[in-house]
Order: sequence, then C-alpha cells, then structure tokens
Amino acid sequence: MTDQQSHRRPVLELQNVHKAFAGLVAVEDFSLDLHAGEIVALVGDNGAGKSTLVKMISGVHAPTSGTIRLDGEDVSFADASVARSRGIEVVYQDLALADQQPVYMNMFLGREAVRGPLHLLDRKTMIEQTQTLVDELDVRIPSARAIIRDLSGGQRQGVAIARATRWAKKLILLDEPTAALGVAETDKVEKIITTLKERDIAILIISHSLDQVFRLSDRICVLRRGVQIGVRETAATDKNEIVSMITGVS
Amino acid sequence: MKFKNLIATASIMAALMGTTAHAETVGPMGEAATPSTTIQVSDDKVAELKAGGYKAALLWHDQSDFVNAVTLGATDEFKRLGIEVVATTSAGFDAAKQRSDIETALAKKPNIILSLPLDPVTSAAAFKEAKADGVKLVFLSNLPKGYQHPEDYAAIVTDDLFQMGKQAADALAEAIGGKGTVGWIFHDATYYVTNQRDNAFKTTIENDYPDIKIVSEQGISDPARAEEIANAMLLKNPDLSGIYVTWAGPAEGVLAALRANGNKTTKIVTLDLSEPIALDMVGGGSVAAIIADEAYELGRAMAAAGARALVGEETPPFVVAPAITVKTENVADGWMQSLKRAAPDSVLSATK
Amino acid sequence: MEGLRSITRKLDLQHYVVYLGFLAIFAFFAITLSGDGFLTTRNLSNIVLQTAPATIMAIGFVFVLSAGEIDLSFGSITAVSALAGAVVMQDFPMVIGIAAGLGAGLAIGFFNGLLVAYLRLPSFLVTLATLGLFAGLARSMTNLRSIPVINDAFTGFFGSGALFGIPSLILWTLGAVIIGHLIYRETRFGAHVIATGDNPGAARVSGIKVPRIRLAVLMISGGCAGLAGLLYAGRLQAAKYTLGESDLMTVIAAVIVGGTALNGGKGSVVGALVGSLLMGMLNNGLILMGLSVSDQMIVRGLIILIAVAISLRDTGR
Repeated sequence: MTDQQSHRRPVLELQNVHKAFAGLVAVEDFSLDLHAGEIVALVGDNGAGKSTLVKMISGVHAPTSGTIRLDGEDVSFADASVARSRGIEVVYQDLALADQQPVYMNMFLGREAVRGPLHLLDRKTMIEQTQTLVDELDVRIPSARAIIRDLSGGQRQGVAIARATRWAKKLILLDEPTAALGVAETDKVEKIITTLKERDIAILIISHSLDQVFRLSDRICVLRRGVQIGVRETAATDKNEIVSMITGVS
Repeated sequence: MKFKNLIATASIMAALMGTTAHAETVGPMGEAATPSTTIQVSDDKVAELKAGGYKAALLWHDQSDFVNAVTLGATDEFKRLGIEVVATTSAGFDAAKQRSDIETALAKKPNIILSLPLDPVTSAAAFKEAKADGVKLVFLSNLPKGYQHPEDYAAIVTDDLFQMGKQAADALAEAIGGKGTVGWIFHDATYYVTNQRDNAFKTTIENDYPDIKIVSEQGISDPARAEEIANAMLLKNPDLSGIYVTWAGPAEGVLAALRANGNKTTKIVTLDLSEPIALDMVGGGSVAAIIADEAYELGRAMAAAGARALVGEETPPFVVAPAITVKTENVADGWMQSLKRAAPDSVLSATK
Repeated sequence: MEGLRSITRKLDLQHYVVYLGFLAIFAFFAITLSGDGFLTTRNLSNIVLQTAPATIMAIGFVFVLSAGEIDLSFGSITAVSALAGAVVMQDFPMVIGIAAGLGAGLAIGFFNGLLVAYLRLPSFLVTLATLGLFAGLARSMTNLRSIPVINDAFTGFFGSGALFGIPSLILWTLGAVIIGHLIYRETRFGAHVIATGDNPGAARVSGIKVPRIRLAVLMISGGCAGLAGLLYAGRLQAAKYTLGESDLMTVIAAVIVGGTALNGGKGSVVGALVGSLLMGMLNNGLILMGLSVSDQMIVRGLIILIAVAISLRDTGR
C-alpha cells in the first residue's frame, strides 16, 4: 500500500472512479484522498457530476469502475445504509428531516435508542444525548423536544448537521448546507461546520458559494462536465483561478 | 349445495302458489293472513292505555317514503292511544347498527317496539334483550329466526304482497286488452318482499290470462342498469304489449328506454308510488298503472297490534295491509290512501 | 414527577380537543337526558360495546394514516373476515374459525400492501378498488345469506361473554388500545411508521425500509378489520356481508377528531379510542333525545364538522 508511507493514512480514497449511466458518462476519472480533520470543497457548475460523486461515496450508486477505500480497505456499499453503518453520513440539500417530529426523534431517525426486554423507545436517553450534542455544537434550539416545523431554516440545518455528527465516525458529506439560508443563519451554520474539524472527521462539502468555500475549506476540488480539473490548497489559490477552472475560460 | 336447496324450495313454493286457486300472501311460517282493518283497539282499552303512560320505539331498517308513511301511521295511532314515541332509528341496512339501535332504545324502557328485522339470522340475537325485557315486539315483513307467537312477539304486519303482484297483472292485462306479449323485469336477489310480488305477477298472468304470454324474463339487481336491460329486451321483442317492472326505481329507467325508442305502444306497470312514474301515467304515457301498498295503514296496524298485546288482548300472528291499484282517475285518492299525504302538485295539476 | 411531565408532554393541544369535546358532549347528554337512562351503567356500557369493532378498525386506521397511506377497504375486510370465521366454524372448532377470520384480514391487508408498497400504486386507488372487490367477494361467498354462529365459546369470547364481570368486548377494546398505543408510541416500528408518513424521503435515507413499513401498516389495518369482523360475528351471533360496510365514515371521523393527521406523520391511538367513543355517544344520545332519524343525521354531521374543524385548526394545517 503506497499510502502507508504518509504520516496519516487518508480516511477515504477515491481512485480512478468512473461512473456512466446507460453509456452516458457522469464522472470521468476521479481520484481524491480525504484526511481526518480536513475539509475539502467540491465545486463545479450544475451537472458537473458533484451529486453523482456524493451518491457513490454514500453508497446510493456503485461506481462503474475504480476503487473506493475506507481506512485503506476496499469497499463496495450495497446501499446507503451500509455506507452509514461504516461511519459515512450525508447532510442532504433537502435536509431529510421529519417535520412533525421532535428534534430528538430526528436525531435518532431510523436508529432509535431502545431499552428493556420489550425494546421500547428510550426517549430519556435520546433527549439527553441530543441536548448534549446541540449544546456542544452550539446549535441554538429551544429544546430537544422542539418540533422541527417550528424551527428556522438555520436551526433545522443545525439539527441535520448535528445528526450527521452524532453518527459519523469517518466522514460527513455536506450537500449545499446553506443554499436555503439567509446571511446570519449561514454564518451560524458555518461556525458549526468549523467546529466539526476538531472532531477528527473528514468533511466533503459541496457549495455554490466560493466565498463560503474559501472561508471553510482546506482544499478545493474542481469538476467540469464529469472531468476532474484539479485540486488546489485553499491557502495557495485564489478565486480567479478556481473560477477559470470551473468555467474553462481563463 | 345450500343455494341449490334454496332455489328448489323457492320453486316449490312458486309451484304451490301457482296451483292454489285463491293464492294469497302467507306468513314466513306459513301463517294465514289476517286483514289489517280487523286490528283495532276498542274504546274501553284506549282509556286504559292512556292511563298507563306507555312508551314505544320505532326501529327501522332504513329511511324512505315508505318508512315515513309507516312511521306516520304508527305515530298517529300511538298518539290516539296516549302512547309516547320515545325513539326513532334507522339502521341503513346495517345489521350491527340495528343491534346497537335496539340496545340504545332499551335505555328509554319502551313497552312496544315496532321494527323491520333486517334479516332472520342476525336479528334473532339482536332482539333477544328486548324480548327478555318483556317489550311487545311488532315486526314488519320479517321474523327473527326461531321466534314463537305469541310468547316472543305480538304480530308480523306486512303488505299483501301477493295481492300487489296480482293486481299488477290484472292492471296490465286490462291495459293491453287481455292478450299479447309481456316482458317481466324481476328483482334478481333473495329478498322476500320483491320476490313475493314478482312471482305473484308471473303466476297470475300464467294462470288467469291464457292469451298473454311472458316472452322475456330479465332479472335486475342494480336499478341504474334498468335502461340497458329494457333496451335489450325491446331490441329482441320490438312488439311487446307490456312490461312489468319490479319497483318504481328501475321503472324510471324502462320508461327512459321506451321514450328513447319512440315506443308509444308498450305499457308499463310497476309497484310503489313515484312522482316521475305517476307523471307519465297521468300525461297519457306508457305507464298504465302503479300498484301501491297502504303504508300508512301498515303503520297504524302495527301500533294497534302492539297496543292490543300490551293490554292483554289477542293479536293474530300475521297481518296484511291491502294493496291499491292507482290509475290516472284515482291518483289523488290513491296517493292519500297509501302515504297519507297529497300527491305531488305536478301530478295533481296534470290531471286537471 | 417525571411520569407526570411525560404524560402532559405527550398530550399536546389537539389531544385536549377530543377529550374536552368528549367531556362537553358527555356532560350535555348527562344533564339533558338524565331522566332518559343515558347515565345508567347499562347504557354507558352499551356505548363501549357498540363501538368496540369501530374502535379496533380505527386503531388500524391510525397506523395506515400515520404512514401517509389510506385504507378504504377495511369495511369489506371486516365482512369477509366475519363470514370466513362463521363459515369455517360451521364445521370446525372455534380456534380454526378465529384463525380463518384473522387470516383473511391479514391476507387481504397483505394483498393491498403488496400493490401499494412494491408496485407503488397509490393506496387510495388500490383500496378503493379492493373495497369493491372484497365487498363483492363477501356477497358471493354466501350468496348474500347470513351465516349463524352457534358456537357458544366463540360468541362468549367475542360477544356476550365477560371476565370478572367485565364484558369481553370492553376487554378487547382495552387490550387493542393498550397494545396499539404501545406499538405506535413506544417502539421503533411505531416511530418508523410515523417517520415514513412525515417524510418518506427522510425515512428512506435514514435506513428505514419504507416499502416494508407500507406493507406492514396495511396488514395491521387488515388484521384489525379481521378482528372487528370476529367481534361483530360474536355480537350478532351471525355474520353478514353488510358488516363493517357503513363504518368507513365513522372510523375516519373518529380518527381525525382523535388527532391523527390525514396526510401522515402524526397520530394517536388513545385519541382514536376517544374519537370512536365520541361517535358512539353521539349516536346513542341523539336517539335517546327522541330526534327523528333525519335530524339525528344533521346534528351528528354538524358536531363532527365542528370537532374536525377545531382539531385540524389546532394542528396548524
């Protein structure tokens, strides 16, 4: 294994990943390493293949060819729940929250805590853990029992990210986490994302906002029409370079 | 297997009816019929009833013009006897609802219950409590299975179903001059009331009118399909002299079919009063006659039978209310006699 | 202390509406009908007995609605199950009759569920079709005849019997409500049902097997309808094709008044019980008031309308 030479083995390695739908190429030949505690931004115009990539990493689609390694081990996820059981969490653009349920039930959606021989729901534990987590991440919601529908967009996104944090062991994929939010709320969500770095989790973020990308990320990866144009250290590049990589116009 | 037996029984009954010279309506257990007019409460008993502070409940199977007229007849008679009607219900043909209605009404401790048991099997358990409470039960048309007269119930009252079918046959025969071909549209379901009437029509034509032939027989279970059925019948037999239709609802469809075909010669008879059917009749259309029952009288007789049982007088097990043949000339009187209310204005003004 | 808090938390506002409405109508009848036998033990127990089958159908309906589906066919299932049980019991012992009745309900629910969950046909249309299909089957099974049930053990167990002086139908109601409530509120399955109705996409990406949930709720509805059919058969000591046919509107009204959302994600089994008792009490009280049948229908309709309006307004939809 070539990566054994590096100090820290990457959490996720994508090698020559290729995806075609019925002959139509969606992602050409994509390779990327993600390390723990690192935020990598994936940028590109609509239809560049970002969503397809996220779906391959999260197990929704299998790559046509190429390899995905998690902690150095080849993986092929049968479906999204397998990827999730391996510690990969996704925060979706449309939030994937159940609106009429309280925060704590969303935090544990599909993975509810149970107790006793009858496996009844352990609401107490779920509420306590939720409260602890939202306090740590400074997601300001009225209570763990608050109903999602009564929360603001920023609070909801905060809950969605907190949920991913609760379950992610390796990697969080953020798909346009602030697309629907106002300035103040975006600011709040970005603060939450920054705190995730300290948890030693790798983060892959998709965003249309280059300002945001430059504020948050360590590296930027550019896609154009399914082709990987390049990866840059955020500190060593500027907006002009990234824009010309995205558009193909220099 | 059981169904076959049922058909066999039915055809034996039909055969028996056919061969009897003076066929008439018989009770569910073969009881002889007593005319409803003989069921009266004598004046001295009226005073006794009034002093008793008795109560009655009317637990019907459904809501209809017919039920309204029966209710009116019963209510008027109860009022005359000083008996208060404390509950009125409709089960909407739901046997479970009827059971609940009986239980609920019993909370008011009625002395008399008038009811149409939805079917013999389910109502046997449903009326058990009322029977145990000593309530005088008067049934309309049906009898709960295994109930004995007079210990379990006071009387069954029903239409003179055979008379209705027979009078329909007589009226149609008269309208077509005693000879020709007729179509017979019967109710294709196991339902005592319609089955009796339909068969009585057929039997009468076959026995009493040798020059009239039933050339087409068509069952109907959904009144909405009457027009299609009549169209098919007329297509095969374009020169039908007359058509018998089991009741007024489907008769409206048959009438529509005749009109659509421009047929002005085929005559219709049907049963039960209906405004559109009566309008066609008084306007000189296809309808020759409507056979109606005396629903108001039925209700009165039920109330009277219950009251008689209450004061310990005898009640016959099986009582029938007469049938009326309603034609253009007696439409106003016939309506009043049957339903105890004036015929619709549209019908009355068309006769003038 | 904690128990009290968790109870008050679980009863959010629109739950109070059904309880308050129930109490208000109860008080009204208790006062106006005090001399007419409304408050007698026999009459009050009659109300519970009479509503037992509808309550059990309503429990199944809470699960179906909560999952964002609907089952219009449960009335037909009730009839088929009652007839299946009654016919089988003519020749076989009670246990086999019960198995036939419940089995018929579960099988029809399974059939509905397969079409909805795996062929992705809308449950409204599927169950509208199977409503007619199985109503027809119920009619043809016995050629419209009523089938008597003369098995005393069965009619006692499901109808007229009692344990420690409590009528069996009340015990069935209590048992079904407790078990239904526990499954609905206190198990992962219940949480998954609610999540599926609230946001099927979110449920799916959270690893909930959404098709399996849809299949399960329709089977629960079928099973509940089957049990209701057996209760009817026990109570009437006979089965007939009309059983359950007229319960659709009552059950929908009971469930909605009881705080279950029509489009999923929210519901209450206890609310459905109270809603069902409310409907039964209305029927009972209006008859005892001596109203004509048409007036009973008008008043009942108006009260249901008011109750539904209040309970829906409070849920904010």
